[in-house]
Amino acid sequence: MKKTPRASAAIIAASCLAVFGINAVPTASAADVVTITLGASVPLTGSLAKEGLLTKEGYQFCQEKVNALSTATIGGKQKKIDIVYQDDTSKPDVAAQNLSKFNDKGIKLILSSYGSANVNAQAAVVELNKQTMVDSGGADDAIFNKGYTRTFNVMSPASEYATSMVKAISEMAKPKPVTMAFLSADDGFSKTVTLGGMKEATALGFTVIGPQYFPNATSDVSAALNKIKADKPDVILGSVHFVEGVAMIKQAKELGITPKSFAQTVAPPILDFATTLGPLAENVLGSSQWSSVVKGQEKYFGKASNYASEFLARFGHEATYHNAEASAACLAMVLAIEKTKSADADKIKTALSALDVQSFFGRIKFDSTGQNTFKPMVVIQIQKGKIITVWPRAIAQAKMIWPYVK
Amino acid sequence: MDTFLQVTAYGLLQGGLLALVAVGFSLVWGIMNIVNLSHGAFVILGAYIAWEVQGWFGLDPFLGMFVSAIVLFCVGYVIQRYLINLIVNGPVFITLLLTFGINMALIQGMNLVFTADFRSIQTSYGSNSFEIGNIRIPLVRLLAFLLAIVITFALVAFVKRTRTGISIMATGMDRGAARLMGIRARHVYALTFAISAALAGMAGTMIATIETFDPSKAGKFTLMAFVVAVLGGLGNMYGALVGGLLIGLVEAWAGQYLSGTWVNGIAFLVLILVLIFRPNGLVGKAFYAARVEI
Repeated sequence: MKKTPRASAAIIAASCLAVFGINAVPTASAADVVTITLGASVPLTGSLAKEGLLTKEGYQFCQEKVNALSTATIGGKQKKIDIVYQDDTSKPDVAAQNLSKFNDKGIKLILSSYGSANVNAQAAVVELNKQTMVDSGGADDAIFNKGYTRTFNVMSPASEYATSMVKAISEMAKPKPVTMAFLSADDGFSKTVTLGGMKEATALGFTVIGPQYFPNATSDVSAALNKIKADKPDVILGSVHFVEGVAMIKQAKELGITPKSFAQTVAPPILDFATTLGPLAENVLGSSQWSSVVKGQEKYFGKASNYASEFLARFGHEATYHNAEASAACLAMVLAIEKTKSADADKIKTALSALDVQSFFGRIKFDSTGQNTFKPMVVIQIQKGKIITVWPRAIAQAKMIWPYVK
Repeated sequence: MDTFLQVTAYGLLQGGLLALVAVGFSLVWGIMNIVNLSHGAFVILGAYIAWEVQGWFGLDPFLGMFVSAIVLFCVGYVIQRYLINLIVNGPVFITLLLTFGINMALIQGMNLVFTADFRSIQTSYGSNSFEIGNIRIPLVRLLAFLLAIVITFALVAFVKRTRTGISIMATGMDRGAARLMGIRARHVYALTFAISAALAGMAGTMIATIETFDPSKAGKFTLMAFVVAVLGGLGNMYGALVGGLLIGLVEAWAGQYLSGTWVNGIAFLVLILVLIFRPNGLVGKAFYAARVEI
């Protein structure tokens, strides 16, 4: 087959860009466009499929917004991003392998999987391959105390999940509760959450009960509930995922355990929580990485409220914090690309280290370990079936209902 | 003492739920010598059917479970008759591979049709319980427990007292001899598999009423059914019930008196101990583990 000079030039240009770390392939129909490919290994099947899909939606939304609105150029050409997806089947080893596959294809810029175990496995591979990853799904502090330098997490650290709720209860609950029981899944993320929450609760003068652990992803937490039943805690704080969170509320009712409040990480901000539990979900507190009243704005998504409304119009369901944190991770990567006018992983890494932006997701800025310790979490409460932000007070949509268990 | 009784009661009820999931799995393994790796997917499919039936017609899950059972019966019959029967004489790895493939196809199909959203069947009595002394008994778990017992005894009566049941047992004992007696083995196998799938459908409905479900849970229920069947033993219809209750109790006691993170480890330790001292399971018969199909 005879190649035209134009096609040959395009191939040579693409090869050069790949060699220099810019995975950009100008197309014949749009030679003035440079496309930067990001790799995203997300759990589309398996136990994290729900959250994985939400993460993918967040990435997709970001890609669409950036490609529609971006005027930034690289080498005089208009920049576009393309995200390539791989299903990691909710397994850390597959999540890590997928990044090596991306690396083999020259894809050096990575958007993370969902789940601390997955991201933990990915972070090691990113370091090995000299890729650069922005993390939207693994908040466990343990990922970031290993000295890695190429993984950046847009979320607040795991230790903040329970801490934020403890602070909210301490500030807003009247009369102030005395005892707080900690129940936790036994995975690394949940344990980090629990230990952080217990430390804060002790510091704020609560009498702390527990922790009581149960297997991760179990639907039977009755043993842990039975262990604290006699103590009659005012608050039961669960460091849980969705399944354990629902089981905790249901089984507490079955066992006649009636604290003044349930507070849970991760589960209540998921839309299915209220629909699954119905009236039992009412007034349960939850910690969330994001809500539609978070302060801050930038050029792609505008304010959090803009993000929420446009996301709803695009995907037909309300944006969860999983969606938002994925979009925020993608946004951080895009801003770093624009700053450096490059897709070189080392330059992007340096740009991310210096990034400081007020966005729809709140402040995105990374400390020396790569964590976003500058963004506070919000506390939500299920009120009349809706997810309502109740803390921090400055952005609260409604007052915290307290106590609620009749 | 109250705590011990509470934990024991809860463990027994949880065990009943496990038995309900495992009884159909044990039936197919015992009769057909097929380890059906798609059993958990049938459980979840049953849960979705009951959930849809409640959504569309407002049918209570204790009625909806019969709809699930009927649909799963048909699905199970077709899968066995026209798919698994093709390789039923093949090595065990081929049947494992095929049922694993069916499992994957069903899970992905459910992912596409129902999405990976978490579901649960809501009822006004779903989390209700009543007290006996100081012990609280969750209503739906109790009903599921009773259902497991009723199904087990009904299955025993069916295979011992009906012509169809006896032909199922005969085929399970010696397929060649059963054929010589005029029993249509293919139909009997399909019937057995269909009954197993129907029971999985009923179990799935109870699961959906008690806890949450999504397609990814299928593997968990297959594993649970496998453990319970091995523990209880094959060749005895009470095996799943005995195995389920034992696992339920062990998990409950381990969770209460040891660290909660040891629950699964203790349950598998019990399984290992039982297999060391009773290789055929608690109430299993050696014949079913050692037979050679012709």
